[in-house]
Amino acid sequence: MIIERILIFLLFLIGFSAIVAMRNIIKKIFGLNLMNAAVVLLFILEGSRIGSQAPILDDGITHMVDPIPQALMLTAIVIGVCVSALSLALAVRLYQATGSLDLDVITKRLADEH
Amino acid sequence: MKALTHSKIILTILILGLAILPVILSDAPWPVQARDYLFGNAKADTGADNTVSAIYLGYRAMDTLGETLVLLVSITGTMSILINLGRHKVDEEAVTFSLEPEKLPRHSLRTNLIEVVASKLGPIVLLFGFYVMLYGHISPGGGFQGGVIVASGIVFLALGTELKTKLTNTIVLSRIESLSFLFLMLASISGVFFESGFFGNPVKTMQNLSPNFIILLNIIIGMKVGTSIAVMCIAMMGGSHDH
Repeated sequence: MIIERILIFLLFLIGFSAIVAMRNIIKKIFGLNLMNAAVVLLFILEGSRIGSQAPILDDGITHMVDPIPQALMLTAIVIGVCVSALSLALAVRLYQATGSLDLDVITKRLADEH
Repeated sequence: MKALTHSKIILTILILGLAILPVILSDAPWPVQARDYLFGNAKADTGADNTVSAIYLGYRAMDTLGETLVLLVSITGTMSILINLGRHKVDEEAVTFSLEPEKLPRHSLRTNLIEVVASKLGPIVLLFGFYVMLYGHISPGGGFQGGVIVASGIVFLALGTELKTKLTNTIVLSRIESLSFLFLMLASISGVFFESGFFGNPVKTMQNLSPNFIILLNIIIGMKVGTSIAVMCIAMMGGSHDH
């Protein structure tokens, strides 16, 4: 149990460090996606602690996992897709306007225009 | 200067790690009351065997409506940004191992490999997507999952086939998306006329609620999610496919 948690923690930190440290916008968006995936995995892991069977009411199911985190994470995944699509579109727009995906170059070129 | 930024970055990550570590390593017992309630009552309350479906189409259907609204807003924003990019076609450099006819601009996203794999796989993936969508009430799956699989099937078809089918036309897909949102609104208020409230299940058989309403909502949401994600992917692959 502790190993999964540490791996999820590392995944979250990798995503965050990509957002903080990377200069490329696309890599930042990938970092956002990684953080989203880490949170989703954490919720699914927490919900699975009190059971061992899929949350489908059928014969022989007596010990099912908590379905509420799964339903919540369904929403989170869809919102994550929306966020990454919108941010990728904005990245394409920025690339078209400035000709670069590097944040420093973009800021410099935008400053030169004014 | 460079070393200073590096140390700042490392410090930020360390601080965030210390802040997030107790959340991830917390050992508090997970409450079982909600699970036990759903185990006993979900089938009688909503009519679905799959309790995840029962939650997001029964108990929290209002939230699903908001979620589809978020999807609608996001695709509107994405499409408006991507369409305003202009239509000047850049001759993209094809990958080096592609054959001579593949280096034409209109073939730049298409190699023999993709054509062989994607066009054959597309219909099968579409079929599987509809299966996941239709059986969401009794097996793992549902509208969102099936919709995403349908979207990947449409993307396979858009990548792999030479002929311009209606299925990869963004205008047709956007119309299906808007129509399914309209149907979702109609389905959500249909319960009002049968005394079960907004998003209530209008179909009753004997004592139990019928899963038909869940199946209907799954189909509508699957169509909506599938078409909107497919539209976004096709728009990002460059080209509206409507020439």
